[in-house]
Amino acid sequence: MNRQEFLKRLEELLRDIPDNERREALQYYNDYFDDAGEENESRVIEELGSPEQVARTIKAGMEDGSGEYTENGYTDARFREHQDISPRNSTTSRKPEPEKPPKKPDFWKILSMILLCILLLPVIIPVGCVLLALILFLFFGAVGIVIGVAVLCVVLVVTGAVLLGCGIWRLFFTPAVGLCLGGAGCLLLALGILATLLVIAVGVKLIPWFIRTVVKLISFPLRKAGVIA
Amino acid sequence: MVFNTGAALLDAIVLAVVSMDKDGTYGYKITQDVRRAIEISESTLYPVLRRLQRDGCLEVYDREFGGRNRRYYKITDAGLAQLSLYKTEWERYSMRITNIFMGRHVE
Repeated sequence: MNRQEFLKRLEELLRDIPDNERREALQYYNDYFDDAGEENESRVIEELGSPEQVARTIKAGMEDGSGEYTENGYTDARFREHQDISPRNSTTSRKPEPEKPPKKPDFWKILSMILLCILLLPVIIPVGCVLLALILFLFFGAVGIVIGVAVLCVVLVVTGAVLLGCGIWRLFFTPAVGLCLGGAGCLLLALGILATLLVIAVGVKLIPWFIRTVVKLISFPLRKAGVIA
Repeated sequence: MVFNTGAALLDAIVLAVVSMDKDGTYGYKITQDVRRAIEISESTLYPVLRRLQRDGCLEVYDREFGGRNRRYYKITDAGLAQLSLYKTEWERYSMRITNIFMGRHVE
């Protein structure tokens, strides 16, 4: 880009500012090139940067309080650290530091986890199968026990009720046997109801706890790797 | 550059530079002169000069030079008043800082 092209582009970019402002700016930079001399033309263009940049500076300068030189204090990277630990930081009108983006799971960490998983596949598959089998076994075992206990409860209640009925019936013919049967029936009925209540209590408390524990156990390695929050 | 230059200080430097030439001076020379004191890019000064001109601290006029019209900047009375205010402020400000740097206790 030479001087003519630079100024032409600048003129185009300044089309949206008032005529007198544009003329002033263009005259300034035209003079500037003249005074810098032909031998410095390329250096000046290089230092000015792009016409877009110069146009931005000019437009920013038209609005008060903005521009390259402000009261915001220095922003030298070498001193930023010292500034940040300064307790008087808040009393300066320095621009606030851009907020750090929320911490995301480290990409490399996840990648290395995945790679590790692939490498350990021969180990993970059998171990996983065994774990799965164990979990299924425990689950179905628990279900079996629950069903068994439930059946036991039902049988106890039903048997108790039937015995009680029989005992009351027998009371009319052989009162001794009737009393015996009736007593046994009451006992069984009581046991059955007690067992039912116990099973319900265990079912309500124990099963959710069991599921929570299993979920926690599975998610532990993932959480440690920071994959899930 | 470790110490940043605020807008007021840049204004003061530019006014001082322009005031050195009684008949006024021009953009390129002002830039070179300011650069003797602080680091600025070539595009920094135009908005500053334009603003000082708008504020009545500088006035411009065109004068023939080498077969073309060159724009000159000249400090106004208002500009001189502003500059003297800046100078006083700077003297106090820099003195206080120097005292601290030198470990002097001055009431």
